[in-house]
Amino acid sequence: MKEIMKTGLTLMIFTLVAGLALGIVYQLTKEPINSAELQNMLKAVEFVLTDKGNLMVDKQLIEKRVSDVVKQEEKEIFKTEKGVVLTPVIKFQINGGDVYVLKAYGIGYGGKVITVASFLVRNGRIDLHAIKVIEYSQETPGLGAKIAEEKSQERFYPIPYEGLMNGVKVDKDAGKTGLDPETAKKAGIVKISDVMTGATITPRAVANSIQAMFQYLKTEVKNNAQ
Amino acid sequence: MPSKSWKEFSKGFVVENPTFVQALGMCPTLATTTSAKNGFGMGLAATAVLVMSNIVISLLRKTVPEKIRIPIFITIIASFVTIVDLLMHAFVYDLWKTLGLFIPLIVVNCIIMGRAEAFASKNNVWYSLLDGLGMGLGFTASLTLLGAIRELLGSGTLFDITIWGKAFNVFIMILPPGAYLTLGLLAALFAFIGMKRKERGNNK
Repeated sequence: MKEIMKTGLTLMIFTLVAGLALGIVYQLTKEPINSAELQNMLKAVEFVLTDKGNLMVDKQLIEKRVSDVVKQEEKEIFKTEKGVVLTPVIKFQINGGDVYVLKAYGIGYGGKVITVASFLVRNGRIDLHAIKVIEYSQETPGLGAKIAEEKSQERFYPIPYEGLMNGVKVDKDAGKTGLDPETAKKAGIVKISDVMTGATITPRAVANSIQAMFQYLKTEVKNNAQ
Repeated sequence: MPSKSWKEFSKGFVVENPTFVQALGMCPTLATTTSAKNGFGMGLAATAVLVMSNIVISLLRKTVPEKIRIPIFITIIASFVTIVDLLMHAFVYDLWKTLGLFIPLIVVNCIIMGRAEAFASKNNVWYSLLDGLGMGLGFTASLTLLGAIRELLGSGTLFDITIWGKAFNVFIMILPPGAYLTLGLLAALFAFIGMKRKERGNNK
């Protein structure tokens, strides 16, 4: 009996000390972690709100809005068959309409592929302005992870309202690999097979995310506005 | 005659290389070595945990009762892993994102538990530190080598710098089978080196 007590107490002391040490490190890293997460999100949001080298919205306003929402817990707010829209939904007013910054994911080769995108909502139209893929860590390096490259991502935007209405697809799924990238975008087709050879699953996840965000805006936001 | 310190430090590089000779810690080895950078980062994170846990376990080796040494070792190792995870999240965000799931998995990396049990619990702090550092660097070098070979053959780049680009790409190298192929060939090479060393030793 005495030995059991002694062993138990020894173990307890060890776990208490370990717990204390973890608590201290957690407290110390809390702020830096929050600011790293914030910077990451901020970078993406600023990127998608850039139009021809200029921010569409005031930089300080973006920072304020993003730091407000980044603390909130992430929730799934809208689902299609293949894509899920997440909070936050950030809305800014611009000349002649609104611009929405949304976040959504589709399932790639190894897990969630998360995309931040900006949509211009005005004159009864919803146009995709730009995207930034922020999470692709489970995709295969050299294949799916090429989605990280600027030249892959720019094949996804801008897509006009008509293209979005067609449903965004990667060129292989649409059966049209011969189009040039700009013509393809007008029809909602993402010409990707030349820049990401051999990888279809990851760009498909991004296309599905875009489609989910568009559906969300079309059903939830546009209808409410009218 | 090399000193004992040097011996404890350097044995992890080739003679007792954790990856190719002891075949420990295979999960992160196979999964994270898709590029040289990822292998290097994973190796360094594991080294940091290994050195810290070796030091602490060696310091406590006389106070830890024999019966409950394993749960205590696990508590110590898990704490250090969590600390490394939090620190990486805070200060090297991009690398933390890339290595993702594999940081928490350092807890079950057999190298760390193995060195705690086989070395740190029986040796003094100085040798345990050297052992941890040597084994950790041996692990890092192995993972970097593995990652470099796979990245070069699979994507034509090395540490993200284009070497021959798309001219010669073997897709399978960056997929899981490529990890097994490369690991097997390198393990064979190390076994060969081991044999040669032995032969030379016998001839003396």
